[in-house]
Amino acid sequence: MDLLEQILINGILLGGLYAVMALGLALVWGVLNIVNLSHGAFIMLGAYMSWYLYTYAHIDPFLGLPITAAAMFAIGYGVQRGLLNLIVRAPMFNTLLITFGLEVVLTYLAQLAFSADFRTINPAYAGDSIVLGPVVLPLARLLAFGVAIVLTVGMWLFLLHTRLGRAIRATAQNLVAARLYGVEPRHLYATTFGIGIALAGMAGGLYGTVSQINPYIGAALTAKSFAISIIGGLDNPLGVIVGGLFLGILESLTALYVGSTYADVASFGVLVLVLMVRPNGLLGKAA
Amino acid sequence: MTAILEIRNVTRRFAGLIAVDDVSFILQRGEILGVIGPNGAGKTTLISLISGTLFPGSGEILFEGRPLGRLPAYRRARLGIGRTFQIMRPFPGLSVLDNVAVGALFGRGGGQAQLAKAREQARAQLDFVGLGRNVDQRADELGGPGRKRLELAKALAMQPKVLLCDEVMAGLNLVEIEEVIEVIRKVRDAGISVLVIEHVIKAIKSLSDRLLVLHHGEKIADGEPRAVLANQAVIEAYLGKRRA
Amino acid sequence: MKALRIALIPAALAVLAAVPWFGSDVLIQFGINALLLAVLAQGWNIIGGYTGYASFGNSVFYGLGSYGVGIAMVQWQLPFGVGLVFGAALAVVFAVLLGVPVLRLRGHYFAIATLALAQVMIAIVSNVKLAGRNIGLVLPPLNNDPLFYELSLGLLVLATLSVFWLTRSRFGFGLIAIRENEEGAAVMGVNTTLYKTLAFALSGIFSALAGGIHAYWVTFIDPESAFDISLNVKMIIMAVFGGPGTVLGPVVGALSLSAISEVLSSEVTRLAGLFFGVVVVAAVVLMPRGLADMSRRFRKMGWRYFAENVRTHRL
Repeated sequence: MDLLEQILINGILLGGLYAVMALGLALVWGVLNIVNLSHGAFIMLGAYMSWYLYTYAHIDPFLGLPITAAAMFAIGYGVQRGLLNLIVRAPMFNTLLITFGLEVVLTYLAQLAFSADFRTINPAYAGDSIVLGPVVLPLARLLAFGVAIVLTVGMWLFLLHTRLGRAIRATAQNLVAARLYGVEPRHLYATTFGIGIALAGMAGGLYGTVSQINPYIGAALTAKSFAISIIGGLDNPLGVIVGGLFLGILESLTALYVGSTYADVASFGVLVLVLMVRPNGLLGKAA
Repeated sequence: MTAILEIRNVTRRFAGLIAVDDVSFILQRGEILGVIGPNGAGKTTLISLISGTLFPGSGEILFEGRPLGRLPAYRRARLGIGRTFQIMRPFPGLSVLDNVAVGALFGRGGGQAQLAKAREQARAQLDFVGLGRNVDQRADELGGPGRKRLELAKALAMQPKVLLCDEVMAGLNLVEIEEVIEVIRKVRDAGISVLVIEHVIKAIKSLSDRLLVLHHGEKIADGEPRAVLANQAVIEAYLGKRRA
Repeated sequence: MKALRIALIPAALAVLAAVPWFGSDVLIQFGINALLLAVLAQGWNIIGGYTGYASFGNSVFYGLGSYGVGIAMVQWQLPFGVGLVFGAALAVVFAVLLGVPVLRLRGHYFAIATLALAQVMIAIVSNVKLAGRNIGLVLPPLNNDPLFYELSLGLLVLATLSVFWLTRSRFGFGLIAIRENEEGAAVMGVNTTLYKTLAFALSGIFSALAGGIHAYWVTFIDPESAFDISLNVKMIIMAVFGGPGTVLGPVVGALSLSAISEVLSSEVTRLAGLFFGVVVVAAVVLMPRGLADMSRRFRKMGWRYFAENVRTHRL
C-alpha cells in the first residue's frame, strides 16, 4: 500500500511539472490558434539556459527562473513578430509546417552549440527529501511542483482578471474589433507568444532539475505537452493542471504495473481516446 | 401524386436551443415546395437533416416510403437526395467542369465509374443551367451568380430524385432571380421534386406549388402560396405583432 | 510545348536508369537515398497533397516496412520479396486500424495525432522481442548498389504512376473533393471514411516499401533509425516544396532538395537536417504552394510573387 501511495505522490508531483510544460503551448494555441510544434524545443532551450546560469554564474535554478523567463520572452517575441506573424492568416497547415521546421533548426543549433552530452542541474539540495508520513517527497520535485502550480494559477488569474490578459483574449476572439479598440494586434500576438515561450523556458528550467537534458528532448516534450493540453482541454486555462495531473498519475501507475517504457504508450493511447470521444478535453464543453 | 419525402415530427436541438421543433410535412413527387421563414427559423437545419449532415433528435424522415434513420450523407446521395449549400463552397482548385463531374461520378446509384463519361454528363448539366461557356474556368473565378448556378449543376449531375435548394437566390438581382426561377422550373419539368428555401418572397410565391412557413423551428403554415401569405400568423412572424 | 514536356519524361527516366552504369559509387548511393525520399514524398502526396490530410507520422509506415523485411529475413529466413510484402501488409493493417479513428479528426488534430503516434512507435518497437528490442536487427548483406538503385527507381515510377492514375480516376476525384470540401463531398455521394482510409493505406504501402528497400540496403535497423522522425519533415517539405497535389511536384522537390543538401554539406546527416529545417521555414513563408505554383505565377509576377504570398498571409 505504501508503494501505491508513493507512486501516486510521484505522479502528482510529475503532473505539476507537466502542467507548466503544457501551459505555454495551451496559451498560444487556445488564444492565438497557433499550433506550435517547436514548443518542446523551447523547453529544451530554457533548460540549457538554466544549466548555464547555474554552472557558470552559480545562480540557483529556481531563483534564476525570472532571468530565463525574461530572455525566453524576448526570444519568443522576436520569433512571433519576425516570423510567425507572417503566416498567421495562412491555412493552419502552414503554421504546423513552419513550427515543425523551427523545431528541426533549434534542435540542430542546440546540438552544435551544446554537444549531445546529457546534463543535469544539480543544486546542493537536489538529493534532499521531505518525509511526510509514509511518503517521501524529493525536494527538487516538490519545489518544481510548487512553482508549477503558482505559474499555472497565476496565468489563469492573469488572463481573466488583468487588463492585458483580457486584451489578449479579446484580440484572439475578434481581430477586427480589437483593432477598433486601439489594440495593435502584431504587438499583442508577439507579447502573447513571448509569454508562452517564457513559460516554456521556465518549464525547461524546472525540468532540468528533475531529469536529464540533451538537445533531442524537444520532440518528445512537444508531443507530451500536446497530450496534456488536449486531455485537459483548451477552453479553460486550468485545463493543463487537470491534464498534467491525469497524465502524471497515469504514467506513474503504468510504470509500476506494466513497465516504464509503456508510460508513453499509455499517454498516447489516452490522447487518441480523448480526441475521438471528447475532443474538447476533460474540462472542455462536451462536443 | 405520391409523397417522395415525408418528414414526421422531426425535432433537433443544439445544446439546449431548439432548431427544429416537431415539424411534419410532405414533399409530393414532381412538385416545387417553398420553405420560408424569418432568419433563424431552422430552414437550413431542416435541409441538413434531410441530406444527412445532421440527424434528428426525434422523429423520422422517409424517402420514397423508407425511413432514412441514421443513414450517412453519402448513402442518401446515392439514393437520390441532392442539395445545394447556402454558403457556396465549390471545390476551388478544380475547374468548373470537374466540380460538376464530381457530382456525376458519385451521385445516384453510385454515379459513373469513368471520368470521361462523367465529364460528358457534367457538360450537359452546365449547359442546362446556362454555364456552358465557363466549363474550363477555375471554380473560384466565378462570380456570385455563376457560383449559384454551379451549385445547381453539381447537384443536378448527381441525377437526384429530390433537390434541396438552400437560398439559391440570395444576393441576386431581379434579372438573375428570374433566370434561376426558370432553371428550377426546368428541373421540375425534368421530373425532379424540388424543395426550395428562400428569403425572396415574391420569387418563391410565383415559383412554388405549395408553401411552408417555419418560425422559431416550428411549422406555422402549410398550403397554397396565396393563402399562406395572407395568413395572420405568418404576417406576424415576419413583421412582428401589431401594437394595439 | 506540352508535347515536348511529355517527351522529356521518358528521356529523364532513361538517364536516371542509366546512372549505375556511368555514375560513381557515391553518386549511386546518393541516388538511392534521393529516390527513396522521393517515394516517401510521393506517398505523403497521396494523403497530404490530394486528400488534404497532412500526416506528420508517415515515418511509422517506413519503419513498419523496414521491420517487415528485417523480421522476415532475419527471424524467419524468408526471401526479401516476401519481406517487402509483409512490411506492406503491416502498413495496411496499421493504416486501417489506426486510420479509421484518427482520420475522423480535423486538420491539425490529425497532424498532432500522427506525430504523437510516430513518437510512440520507437518506444513500442523497442520492447518487441521479435524485432530485436532496442538493439535492432542485422540483415544478411547484399553488396549490389546498382540493384538497390534500380529497385528504388522502379518503386518511384510505380508511386508516380499511381498518383497520375489518381488524377484521372473516380477514386482520385473523390479524394480531391474531400480535400476541397469534405462535407460537400459527402453530400455528393463520396464515402469519405472509406476513401480517406484507402488513401492513408496507399500512402502507407509506398512508405513501407521504401523502408523495406532501405533496410536491406543498409543491412541494419534499429527503432531509432527505422522510425526516424526527421523523415517526416523531409518528406513533407519535399512534397510541399515541389508542389503538393501535383504528379511530379514531390519528385522534383525530393531530387532537387536532396541535391542541394548534398552540395551544401559534406556531412550529409548533420547539417542536412538543419538545411531542411531552414528550407521549410523559408518556403512556407515565401512559396507555400510549392515550385509548381511558383513556376506558373513567377512568369507573370516576377519577384512580386514572394512578396504577394507574404502580404496575403501576414497579420
